[in-house]
Amino acid sequence: MHGANHQIHHQSSSLVEDHLDPFSLVADELSLIGDRLRSMVVAEVPKLASAAEYFFRMGVEGKRFRPTVLLLMASALNVRVPEAFANTLGDDLTTELRMRQQNIAEITEMIHVASLLHDDVLDDAETRRGTGSLNVVMGNKLSVLAGDFLLSRACVALAALKNTDVVALLATVVEHLVTGETMQMTTSSDQHCSLDYYMQKMYYKTASLISNSCKAIALLAGQTTEVSMLAYDYGKNLGLAFQLIDDVLDFTGTSTSLGKGSLTDLRHGIVTAPILFAIEEFPQLREILDQGFDNPENVDIALEFLSKSHGIQKAKELAMKHANLAAEAIESLPETDDEDVRKSRRALVDLTQIVITRNK
Amino acid sequence: MFIYRGICRISKTAANYNRCRWLYSSASHQQLSHYSRFTSPISTSHEVLGCRVNNFLISRPFSSGGPQPSYEGSSINDPVDPFSLVADELSIVANRLRAMVVTQVPKLASAAEYFFKMGVEGKRFRPTVILLMATALNVKISKPTSEGVVDMFSTELRTRLQSIAEITEMIHVASLLHDDVLDDADTRRGIGSLNFVMGNKISVLAGDFLLSRACITLASLKNTEVVSLLATAVEHLVTGETMQMSTSSEQRSSMDYYLQKTYYKTASLISNSCKSIALLTGQTAEVATLAYEYGKNLGLAFQLIDDVLDFTGTSTSLGKGSLSDIRHGIVTAPMLYAMEEFPELRTVVDKGLDNPENVDLALEYLGKSHGIQRTRELAAKHASLASAAIESLPENDDEDVQRSRRALIELTHRVINRTK
Repeated sequence: MHGANHQIHHQSSSLVEDHLDPFSLVADELSLIGDRLRSMVVAEVPKLASAAEYFFRMGVEGKRFRPTVLLLMASALNVRVPEAFANTLGDDLTTELRMRQQNIAEITEMIHVASLLHDDVLDDAETRRGTGSLNVVMGNKLSVLAGDFLLSRACVALAALKNTDVVALLATVVEHLVTGETMQMTTSSDQHCSLDYYMQKMYYKTASLISNSCKAIALLAGQTTEVSMLAYDYGKNLGLAFQLIDDVLDFTGTSTSLGKGSLTDLRHGIVTAPILFAIEEFPQLREILDQGFDNPENVDIALEFLSKSHGIQKAKELAMKHANLAAEAIESLPETDDEDVRKSRRALVDLTQIVITRNK
Repeated sequence: MFIYRGICRISKTAANYNRCRWLYSSASHQQLSHYSRFTSPISTSHEVLGCRVNNFLISRPFSSGGPQPSYEGSSINDPVDPFSLVADELSIVANRLRAMVVTQVPKLASAAEYFFKMGVEGKRFRPTVILLMATALNVKISKPTSEGVVDMFSTELRTRLQSIAEITEMIHVASLLHDDVLDDADTRRGIGSLNFVMGNKISVLAGDFLLSRACITLASLKNTEVVSLLATAVEHLVTGETMQMSTSSEQRSSMDYYLQKTYYKTASLISNSCKSIALLTGQTAEVATLAYEYGKNLGLAFQLIDDVLDFTGTSTSLGKGSLSDIRHGIVTAPMLYAMEEFPELRTVVDKGLDNPENVDLALEYLGKSHGIQRTRELAAKHASLASAAIESLPENDDEDVQRSRRALIELTHRVINRTK
């Protein structure tokens, strides 16, 4: 499982050579999890199966960022059984623990995908407007049912871990995801321009999942409260850094200049960190915001303000601050001589850099 | 109110019992004469099969305790009204539920609270069963020197049992919210459905929210077996709904498939909650199974009569019910029995029940068949099995325990004799 895989992943060109690529460190295990996930969501009803599997299909899983973090965290917290105990017993325990931690990764993915499916549910106005309204309606029902299916599977898998603290943690994640999505659906004009509101929403929608599952990994490993909180802090700050850079990339795309990004957030009326920083410098921008972005001219005006401001830069700085906090959390972990553990910790620290230097 | 109940369990004289019942029955707007409150606990098979006893107590599915006349010398065979036995505790549970679904996001709060509002909570059937089961299984705690200590244990355990009632309601309401989106429902519990009033998406999100709150509460009980049981119930709800949404023609005509689906959609939650009560009170595996069997059979009986009432409504003749099942293409037990007698009915069903002519045709066949009667018989069978489970519980002299068990048995009668 801790196969020393020295291949450098093609995406991480900015890494120093003697650092191992975080993703390849856990590549084998990720396949294992991917397969298990696909078999877990097999359903007897074909339509449901394809809906649920949609996001777990080979190649569609994205970078599998979350599971990577969780597996690395598991290794980073891997406390060796003392030599006094028979090694075979130690190995069995280690293997069982590792399985359970892998289960956390699976459960986390199921919760994540369930929330994506439920977030996609459209309201009646939207379903009626569509010309293919039957499809849209069927799409709704399938989304709800498939999401429920995944959530219920996650519940059962959670129960099987026989750790009620972990159940509470991951149930809280579901609550946060829902809260974050509702916050996004219902922002008032004041809240729209508040960085605090935005960061809170971002924590709920993005960081809570990874922070609480990191903490769950620590709890399963029988770690102390302090260590569990460090794991939590790593996940939280990594998640926030990731999302902030996501926000920037939505404007800049693969270039450092504006407007080359997809601008999806803005076009959907979702106001993110760069714009919020820009508003601090140019209060007039707020009026544009209030008018809404259905009008493409407003998009252009907003971009103009943004480029005049330090919005992008400030967002990047904030991301960096969180990335550093994440790295610090790892560095505060109790010292260890174990080479595998140290390797994983370095990988986790590297991830904090990858997250902020990536350009897509 | 709650403390009184604890004290009641210790001092078991009839006088104290009466005083306690008086004190903790909440005032109700319903004025009833003394004898009309109670129905005979003994029902003959004659009553059960085919004929509906028109008892107006039963016709009000929800009855809270009214001011009760005190009576001296209560005997073991006194009839009991299940709902009033737990009325006060139900209020406590309802209040706690309302407090539990509070959130800082206003839209989510109003969505989550929607069905826990005063007056809309439904029959509160499930919590009633659960609270009665809690008393029915009450393990005798050996009396220590200080009475205060016993109260504390009773209270803490009782609170945990009440949590099961709360968790069960949250899971149930979450599933209702999602089902209404799946069914495009307009109304629920006599008011606009949440998806109709606030939109599909918030309904789905609110359902998820309730589910997560239920899981958090579940986790706080720190009993992993109970967590497993109720997680399984959640999975069963989804499985049942999936079965309902995606039946093939073959499956739609199968009684086995239908009963399996009914177990998943209706009986699993209550049976697993009853079992959880047993586990939390430290009962043996046998007793836990009996509690489970009670819940399961009660749930099945309930659903089967629901199926009948959808056709018959408040009259014994067909077609006076709302017919919503059949109009939605959902084939229930009466129709399935009718198909056994008239195989050609299956063709009608396969052609599709969107067409009102087919609905009428199907109703004709049903009228000619013994479908309604056989469904009632099946319901009665399950109701008897539920009663039998209670009667098989280990003997217990405690009056409260005996009374709750009578109430649970009474429920099995009400479930099959009700007219709505």
